[in-house]
Amino acid sequence: MLRMFRSEWLKIRRSVMWLLIAVSPLIALAFGLFGFKQEGSFPWIEALSLLSALHAMLFLPLLTGIYAALLCRYEHAGGGWKMMLALPVSRTQVYFVKFAVLMLLLAATQLLLLAALLAVGWANGISSPVPWRTIFASLGGGWIACLPLAALQLFASVAFQSFAAPLAVNVICTLPNMLVVNSARVGPYYPWAQPMLAMLPREDYGFGAFNLSLETLTIVVLGSFCVFFAAGWTYFAKRSV
Amino acid sequence: MMLRLLSAEFLKIRKKLLWLLVALGPVGVVGLQAVNFGLRYDYLTKQYARDLWGGLITNVSLLALPAMFIGLAIVASMSAGIEHQTNAWKMTLALPISKRQAFGAKFLLNVLLLFVSCTLLVPFTLALGWALGFAAPIPAGELLRAAYYPFLACMPFVALQSWLSVTFANQALPLTVGIIGMIAAMFGSRFPDWMPWKWPLLVNAWHEPLYSVGLGLLLGAAVFLIGMLEFARKDVK
Repeated sequence: MLRMFRSEWLKIRRSVMWLLIAVSPLIALAFGLFGFKQEGSFPWIEALSLLSALHAMLFLPLLTGIYAALLCRYEHAGGGWKMMLALPVSRTQVYFVKFAVLMLLLAATQLLLLAALLAVGWANGISSPVPWRTIFASLGGGWIACLPLAALQLFASVAFQSFAAPLAVNVICTLPNMLVVNSARVGPYYPWAQPMLAMLPREDYGFGAFNLSLETLTIVVLGSFCVFFAAGWTYFAKRSV
Repeated sequence: MMLRLLSAEFLKIRKKLLWLLVALGPVGVVGLQAVNFGLRYDYLTKQYARDLWGGLITNVSLLALPAMFIGLAIVASMSAGIEHQTNAWKMTLALPISKRQAFGAKFLLNVLLLFVSCTLLVPFTLALGWALGFAAPIPAGELLRAAYYPFLACMPFVALQSWLSVTFANQALPLTVGIIGMIAAMFGSRFPDWMPWKWPLLVNAWHEPLYSVGLGLLLGAAVFLIGMLEFARKDVK
């Protein structure tokens, strides 16, 4: 298993992937540096809301799709699937490793956003102590809320040879976010809105350390994750390459 | 000549997902607004009581703009992807056509596909308005302006995305540029007037949408020419 991670690492090392990982945190950083004004009594929370709004509503879901498509790019180009599956590895292993790498890339993006947040706080000279718990709930919650999206995007990326087709699937599902996040009725049930809802720090409700309620977390996030992941996995296990 | 090139381009995208996307864009935008108006009918009709059609058109273009920005990036990437995926640039350029013509044909194809998409917006919006029971005088001029002015004003981005998609074999780059463009366009109203991302919003200091359209067409032509010259000099794989 470890070797498979190393082979994936070899494929993405020195690719444009690293450039893309930095895109959203850098834009959030620019937003924070120019747009942030220290006003209220919870400057860190405000900075976090400002930085994560754009990042979570559009960038995070859309970048998930780009990462997934990039991870499958080598295999789609030049018959790499045949080559890879001719090695002594099972398809299940291949699929699980791809998914794990995808989630690791998303985690790296979230960590860079944390760095951007700290940089904004430092540049603005926020003196109050860093509310680590809230920040990690937001970043970690956003990461977990990406699970179903990542599963569906990996499915689409494995299925379509074209790079843009899985992204189109992604965009079609992500654009409604702009309306959905404002709706208290539909919002909690729409998988693509979950990263946004999970990342915005809220005080009043939520389960444990998360900004999502327990029902949303289990039914919507984990439920849709299981459906999408199982669908992608069985598809990949059965398809001819 | 150009006509024959275009028909070749259309042949390449026959029965491809591309057409589905071109139709899906406007269907999705109007469909979402149908849900929006359906769920909040009383609230929205009260808010736009003085001009129901105008309110509908405003709401549709609010969503249509980001959809158009990301849609044109995807369309450009997919139409260039046909050659990238099969490593067929050499084949295409080995035909008795110049590289400039090949580039022009791709650009024109993207423009036409986007045109189809924007045109479909008109009947769909009309259908939604009638389905919601809005009264008769349809603001035809306003509707057509809302469909075609942003399309013309975003020509620089069609040219840019066509260029990037053709230049880079790895489509992650042009698509990321497209995503950034879409998000920039959503905040367009905060930008100064000279920023191209603001033009498709048709807002400017003179309150004259045609200025934005004209600027878009001019810069679009410039980007197209630069891209064409660069592509003509470049070696293909």
